[in-house]
Amino acid sequence: MMFYWSLCVEYMKNYAKTRLTYRADFWIEVLSDILFQGLNLIFILIVFQHTPSLGGWSEAEVVFVYGFFMIPYGVFGTFFNLWSFSERYIVKGEMDRILTRPAYNLYQIVLENIDPPSIFGSIFGAVIMIISWSQLGLPFEALDALMLVVFTVGAVMIYAGLYTALTAISFYSDAPTGILPLMWNIQNYGRYPINIYNKTIRFLLTWLLPFAFVGVIPASYFLDRHEEGLTTLALFTPVVGIVVLVIGITIWNHGVKRYRGAGS
Amino acid sequence: MLAIDVQDLRKQFNVQKNREGLSGALKDLFKREYNQITAVKDISFQIPQGEICGYIGENGAGKSTTIKMLTGILVPTSGHIKVNGFVPFKEREKFVKGIGVVFGQRSQLWWDIGVIESFQLLRKVYRVPEDEFRKRLDELVERLQLGELLNRPVRKLSLGQRMRCELVASLLHNPSILFLDEPTIGLDIVVKTEIRDFLMKINREHGTTILLTTHDLQDIEALCSRVIMLDDGRIIYDGGLDELKSRWSKGREIHFQFAEHPQLDNLRVLTDGLGVSWSQDNELTATMFLPHAVNVSDALARVVGGGAGIRDIKIVETNTDEIVREIYQSGSASSEATKKLGNVVALDKEAHQGNE
Repeated sequence: MMFYWSLCVEYMKNYAKTRLTYRADFWIEVLSDILFQGLNLIFILIVFQHTPSLGGWSEAEVVFVYGFFMIPYGVFGTFFNLWSFSERYIVKGEMDRILTRPAYNLYQIVLENIDPPSIFGSIFGAVIMIISWSQLGLPFEALDALMLVVFTVGAVMIYAGLYTALTAISFYSDAPTGILPLMWNIQNYGRYPINIYNKTIRFLLTWLLPFAFVGVIPASYFLDRHEEGLTTLALFTPVVGIVVLVIGITIWNHGVKRYRGAGS
Repeated sequence: MLAIDVQDLRKQFNVQKNREGLSGALKDLFKREYNQITAVKDISFQIPQGEICGYIGENGAGKSTTIKMLTGILVPTSGHIKVNGFVPFKEREKFVKGIGVVFGQRSQLWWDIGVIESFQLLRKVYRVPEDEFRKRLDELVERLQLGELLNRPVRKLSLGQRMRCELVASLLHNPSILFLDEPTIGLDIVVKTEIRDFLMKINREHGTTILLTTHDLQDIEALCSRVIMLDDGRIIYDGGLDELKSRWSKGREIHFQFAEHPQLDNLRVLTDGLGVSWSQDNELTATMFLPHAVNVSDALARVVGGGAGIRDIKIVETNTDEIVREIYQSGSASSEATKKLGNVVALDKEAHQGNE
């Protein structure tokens, strides 16, 4: 455990050494990240110009959910920057190098692709959440802070598990180009109130691709929305996280055995 | 103790068949067909500790695939592997601590950071204690004269400089087995020699077992006490280099430069009955090929005694490159090649009877 922590620190240091020399680049990435999220937020605001509530959820509540969603999402983006995995590690064969080093392969890949600018999204999200928290006049207790941490960890695990599984498809198929963008679209649904969707999508988002657990479900715990047992469901976030992560890593480990290397 | 023990190792790949044309591409979309390719076909060999073994063969013969199975990167389809007492793909993380790997075509170092920082990172990954790391690094840096390179980023190094750094990187954790996949590819002769000397020293002083693949037979001649030759996924030769040479080389060539235009027919008459063959190179020179069975002095005596004015004589031994090229060329059908290696002598005779 200590070993893996020290590796993380070491890679972070190296990231700092290489990337911080291009300071402008760093800040542009932060800015574009936040602008991207900001546009989504503006979309929500526009929708609420036309309707006072969405499936019984007020504007402030939906914004609150969005703010919560950004926190685990930012953490996830920092550590799971694996979009070019297939290209870089499978096609170019860099997986060879990873596999000849004595540390868990997925961990090495995660560290090599670490992307700290994404964490600013989390900070932005937290600010949004705090603002709407006070707008909604919700009480704040010590337990809430603890639950926020627990939910964030759970949500990050869900994301990590799902994307690990999806990335692992590269081991099984030659060119898994279509699936990631598709997922990318589906995950967006998780940050809106789940009861506005029909039953099938609701089931899909809760149990099959549990993106609802990274946004609306845990957020409803703080909002005290009891309908359809959302608040109770929220308590299962860490459990769902562990299950999804274990499944993801299993698929990954199985995939690594099928790795065939690039030619030469 | 055996450093590497391989029994009936096999690796098969499913390769997708691409059908021709647009209609073929459409068919592929719905129903894919696969070709099963066997890259390594039930090979067995043992390498004792402290040996330097060369692993040669044509492109696509299965060298890299074998190395990748030995280093735990690929999982074999069947067969047994024991390297350093581990089954590589099973206990990978423990296993790779005891091996060093250099792939000539691919960098092990981080592209953007200074060489020394890459080394520091590797120190953490391999959990080498600081003082041991220092000692080892100083030794390696001195040996390969890397002193002034250490602070440069890898992307700014020349290929030769990079390759020396790669070697250091693979040896920092003092592995007992070193795998080198084409370590001298694309390097100039000075760097090549430097690397060969370095590997010799490492082997002698630390008893490091080295398995290297290469296309440069000079590497093999300089380093290896043993050669394993692979063709089409099978081992066609396993033994010493000298033996390979003596079994495969067919004979020598003697180049004559004459004072005046030689008549091949006359020359043939002179050497009649010896079993040599002649060919004309240009107006004044001719080449005599003589198999090992023929005595050089006998043949020379006949030609010199024949009264032709000879300006120059050059005796050429077939070199390893040529021998290996010949094996590759004839070895495309590998069972044939194996047979050939077994009965080289017999075949030699046949070939020459054919010539005459």
